[in-house]
Amino acid sequence: MNLKELKEILQILDEKEITEFELEEQGIKLRIRKTPPVSLSPGPLAPVAPPPAPGVPVLVGSGPQPRPAESPATPGSAPTPPLPAEEAGLILVKSPIVGTFYRSPDPAAPPFVNVGDRVRVGQVLCIIEAMKLMNEIEAEVSGEIVKIHQETGQPVQYGEPLFAIRPER
Amino acid sequence: MFKKILIANRGEIALRVMWACKELGIKTVAVYAEPDRHSLHVRFADQAVCIGPARSVESYLNIPAIISAAEITGADAIHPGYGFLSESSYLAEICEACAIKFIGPGPQAIRLMGDKSRAKKAMIKAGVPVIPGSPGVVEDEDKATRLARETGFPVILKASAGGGGRGMRIIREASEVAPAFRAAQAEAAAAFGVPDVYIEKYVEAPRHIEIQVMADTKGNVVHLGERECSIQRRHQKLIEECPSPVVTEKLRRRMGRAAVEAAAAVQYVNAGTIEFLVDEQSNYYFMEMNTRIQVEHGVTELVTGRDLVKEQIHIAAGEPLSFAQKDLGFVGHAIECRINAEDPVTFIPSPGTIRSFNVPGGPGVRVDTAAHEGCEISPYYDSLVAKLMVHGRDRREAIARMRRCLDVMVVEGIRTTVPLHRRIMDDPDFLAGRLSTKFMERFQVARKAPVAGP
Repeated sequence: MNLKELKEILQILDEKEITEFELEEQGIKLRIRKTPPVSLSPGPLAPVAPPPAPGVPVLVGSGPQPRPAESPATPGSAPTPPLPAEEAGLILVKSPIVGTFYRSPDPAAPPFVNVGDRVRVGQVLCIIEAMKLMNEIEAEVSGEIVKIHQETGQPVQYGEPLFAIRPER
Repeated sequence: MFKKILIANRGEIALRVMWACKELGIKTVAVYAEPDRHSLHVRFADQAVCIGPARSVESYLNIPAIISAAEITGADAIHPGYGFLSESSYLAEICEACAIKFIGPGPQAIRLMGDKSRAKKAMIKAGVPVIPGSPGVVEDEDKATRLARETGFPVILKASAGGGGRGMRIIREASEVAPAFRAAQAEAAAAFGVPDVYIEKYVEAPRHIEIQVMADTKGNVVHLGERECSIQRRHQKLIEECPSPVVTEKLRRRMGRAAVEAAAAVQYVNAGTIEFLVDEQSNYYFMEMNTRIQVEHGVTELVTGRDLVKEQIHIAAGEPLSFAQKDLGFVGHAIECRINAEDPVTFIPSPGTIRSFNVPGGPGVRVDTAAHEGCEISPYYDSLVAKLMVHGRDRREAIARMRRCLDVMVVEGIRTTVPLHRRIMDDPDFLAGRLSTKFMERFQVARKAPVAGP
């Protein structure tokens, strides 16, 4: 057996994912054993306790002033509603900042938009108050308001869903 | 005492602050960027608020988002951790304006210590030794030569507007001054647009030894001893220990007193660290002050038995320090190895998912980490995976303990600096306590040189 033959054998073993191979011929005995990829760990590991089940992290509790009610974030508990699935064709308007959501410019005024309203690009949909500043959130598409995900006075975090809009063509 | 603290940070320090809050019965608010959605600090907090996308500037450095998160959760204090906004006088000021307590010093102390030249002036005024040198820009060659002689060779010529090692020249004798001065000025003008240079004493292969201080609002200032942090690469600390192998009790008293005077001189409140350069004759020189809790605070906690983060919270709540200088003792020896997600040879970052994670335990071991099996070490933030600390009766035991911990510290799925630390634990200079900021340079070179024998 020469080196070339040996290489060919090794290649075949690799391709076929054979882990053990023995060959005896003409005074040569060849035994090849492939071990699975060696782990760097020094020995069998005690299984590490699995981390708490992933869940949607607790959003800030709902309710306006004085202080929102808290939901304890014990691992595995999911008192918050799951993120709304983006239905086919709907655009989800998400909060770009952290703050408090208001549907109207002031308590006495009517809301900026209602479900069923048609909105244009740039139209103000709501206000998010942060650090005493009122930030107007504008529509980035034209279309129809299909769903409103928050109530006035609710705290919202970055990325929180606010409105679902069915965009017009 | 606070009812609820918002932790404006992530990773292991967010957890560290959380542990102190939980023990004190204080509710916690975690803030997070989107990639950290499933992090431990988010999961173990009482409330969590997403404050932005991955980029730090839009999340962990986003002051409006953080303040807003404090407002909507009703947090009455913010702990900034280390890094990120921990030394932002701006955040400290806004907290004051919004009636949220910033757990740290006041904005003025942060600003003062953040300005290196103002800090140095304040230290000179307080009688703290600083690196001798020219009071300001050196105008000409003759003045340069005179100053260099007064300061004592070797000296280093530095560009005022410079940094990154450029525009620096080491001068070892008087005859070298004039040509070096001319060249440094030219280099400074070319690189930074301003030819201004100044002179400082050059401390060869100094040790980086820092003193932990704590001050309350009642005028009490204490020091909690030193940490030796000389093992660094590109100014990033890799290994820290407490106490320093070369600091005698007498030196500790002197440096401690200097640090306390420095803190008192700037009306410092809360936790801080004064960094000194120490030469081979044990002369120490003020380098800078860090106005925050530091990564390596744990080794001080292990040796003194004090909880520094709880102390921070008490101080911020207006309570006095829970101990006086005379109550403080130093027991045993502690070492910390920073386990980073980097190649142990090239230091190239190695983000990814941790597939297998085994953290050592047993006597005298403390591991601060937010990592776990299945967690994602993201490329957006720093590469610290875990702080592996050991405590022993003496330095020898601490080293032996660190060796066995590193041997069983398993982190698979990413590369880490565990093998590097393990090699350092066998290095003769390290074992002998022969440390300086040149250690890593020498260590890397020695490693690459062909091995002559076992």
